[in-house]
Amino acid sequence: MASPSVPRWLLGSLALQNLGRRKARTSLLVLAVAISGAIAFAGVVMMRSIEASITVGFSRLGADLMVVAQDALANITAALLVVEPTDQTLDANLLAQARIAGIGRAASQRIFRSEQSGFGGHAESVDLIGFDPERDFTIQPWISERLNRPMQPGDAILGAARDLPLGSEIALYGRPFRVYAKLGRTGVGTHERGVFMATSSLLALAPGIRERTGQTPPMLEPDKVSGFLIELAPGATELQARFALLSHLSGIKAVSAGSLLTGIRQGLTALLGGVLALVSMMFASTAVMVSVLFSAIVAERRNEIGLLKAIGARRAQIVGLLLIEAIGVTSAGGAIGVALGALLLRLFEHSLVYYLTQMGIPFLWLDRTNMVFIAAACVFGAALIGAVGALAPAWRVSRQDAYDLIRGEG
Amino acid sequence: MLSCRGVGRTYQTDRGPVDAVRRIDLEAPDGRFVAVIGRSGSGKSTLMAMIGGLIRPTIGSILIDGVDIWALDDNAMARFRNRRIGYVFQFASLLPTLRAIDNVALPALLDRRHAAAEAYDRAAQLLADVELGTHLDAYPSEMSAGEQRRAVIARALINDPILLLADEPTSDLDEQTEREIMALFLSVNRERGTTLMLVTHNLALASEAEQVVQIADGAIVP
Ligand SMILES: Nc1ncnc2c1ncn2[C@@H]1O[C@H](COP(=O)(O)OP(=O)(O)O)[C@@H](O)[C@H]1O
Ligand SMILES: [Mg+2]
Repeated sequence: MASPSVPRWLLGSLALQNLGRRKARTSLLVLAVAISGAIAFAGVVMMRSIEASITVGFSRLGADLMVVAQDALANITAALLVVEPTDQTLDANLLAQARIAGIGRAASQRIFRSEQSGFGGHAESVDLIGFDPERDFTIQPWISERLNRPMQPGDAILGAARDLPLGSEIALYGRPFRVYAKLGRTGVGTHERGVFMATSSLLALAPGIRERTGQTPPMLEPDKVSGFLIELAPGATELQARFALLSHLSGIKAVSAGSLLTGIRQGLTALLGGVLALVSMMFASTAVMVSVLFSAIVAERRNEIGLLKAIGARRAQIVGLLLIEAIGVTSAGGAIGVALGALLLRLFEHSLVYYLTQMGIPFLWLDRTNMVFIAAACVFGAALIGAVGALAPAWRVSRQDAYDLIRGEG
Repeated sequence: MLSCRGVGRTYQTDRGPVDAVRRIDLEAPDGRFVAVIGRSGSGKSTLMAMIGGLIRPTIGSILIDGVDIWALDDNAMARFRNRRIGYVFQFASLLPTLRAIDNVALPALLDRRHAAAEAYDRAAQLLADVELGTHLDAYPSEMSAGEQRRAVIARALINDPILLLADEPTSDLDEQTEREIMALFLSVNRERGTTLMLVTHNLALASEAEQVVQIADGAIVP
């Protein structure tokens, strides 16, 4: 006699086969959990991304105000971090001379954008940003990794989108630079692909640039800068500082982003609250639905459960069987939900995020590890809904006498 | 040895309590064939279910092999049912989503004493013994009523019980099939020495039993 094939998880497969018997109901259950899962996943990822973006954009030592030449274009959000490339310059000692009330810290920046630096791809437009490492408070806070020594002349800091290892050598206009540090992702284009260096290093490039382009860009003159980033003195208001700046200096523009960003932040906070409430409501209603459905499933299977008891299944095995079934359905729903949620996020990326970025509001997707964690949490939450929903009916039925179950009474 | 001591069961119904079994005393030594007869509604099934560990008596105790089964806790009771008792129901009782071999092996798999492969070998052997050796992979829906009943008997025997209970196991079968099934029960009783307690309306069969228990209105007719 041939040895019969031995299935591995008979009880487990028994549970899954039961699901297969009621395809319509099973699909309904999976779908319901999937929808909640999708909303939960997309909602939480979006929420955490926005939260992270806000934290990054607002509290990571940005500037309150930016002073640039009157005709310079200003990107509102980028302004908090770095001056936009422009040929309009200001005198380097403009602020130092004026001694304006309400200004706490001021850091000058020089930005030079060029296609001929020889760095990056062929004729790639590269922003070279010169800053004063002693006074800077908007660039260095973004450093995510650095060499284990202080910054030196000839060192360069790369934006997050540049993929070169620390310590490697790059050439700008034929001059060698050492990659000293890399910035974290900021969501601001200028930062992402820029090459940052000390003012002295940038100025030292002037001869090489003149050689290639026939002229010295205005911001590379020693006494000129592209603009200043300003942090308000404690207690000073933005309005006071702006007023003081404009009344003392001429030919300048004081850009602030405060009011606009505050509005956006408040709007987003309300939105997040809504998302959170929605997610918890979905969670609760799905749990109730699963519980109701499982009471029906258990009632319908009393006979079978009674038989299992009669042939010696322990209570734990019966509860386990029903839980496997419930958890199987809801975690499948959760997994499908995560996939749907990812699709939803794609849509966001093409609409909302694109729109935000267009407005110059930095948007950073949550990093992969956190996203995977949230996805796992969603599937786990779905499994939990199944377990919680099925536990009470499973427990109750496991307590009954087999004969009552088989006869359909009790 | 099976002994029932003052076993009774009262059902609570909407129309008040129903005394289905009234303080029955019963003894049966090991290996005996006991036939239980009586009219419908007399309490036979309730008595069998109490002995089989399927429904708790409201009064009295049942000892099987010296074990007061209803004094056991949930798990011990499940294990006792699993290892010592085989039960053949009045109706189809195979799990419809499992093959015959899975159904037969299931009680052995529930109790993790044996490896699964061992359980399946044994199940295959038992199915061959009840002449279902060619139906190992058949699902219940693919088997006749008589074949299903034989598979249930194989399932009841998988853990080598000391007590085989059968509650009108042939009431829904034709005469020829009934004879085959009954012959099977008798051979189990004789060849394995398993105590057999069987509810039947077939008086010819009952006359072959070593002990006949007649029940009327929940009590044994002396
Ligand atoms: N679960 C139950 N609830 C209420 N009454 C029951 C239940 N089971 C059996 N009875 C009643 O108990 C009596 C005995 O039933 P049963 O044990 O099935 O007898 P038999 O098997 O001899 O026909 C009958 O009157 C029946 O109506
Ligand atoms: Mg009956």
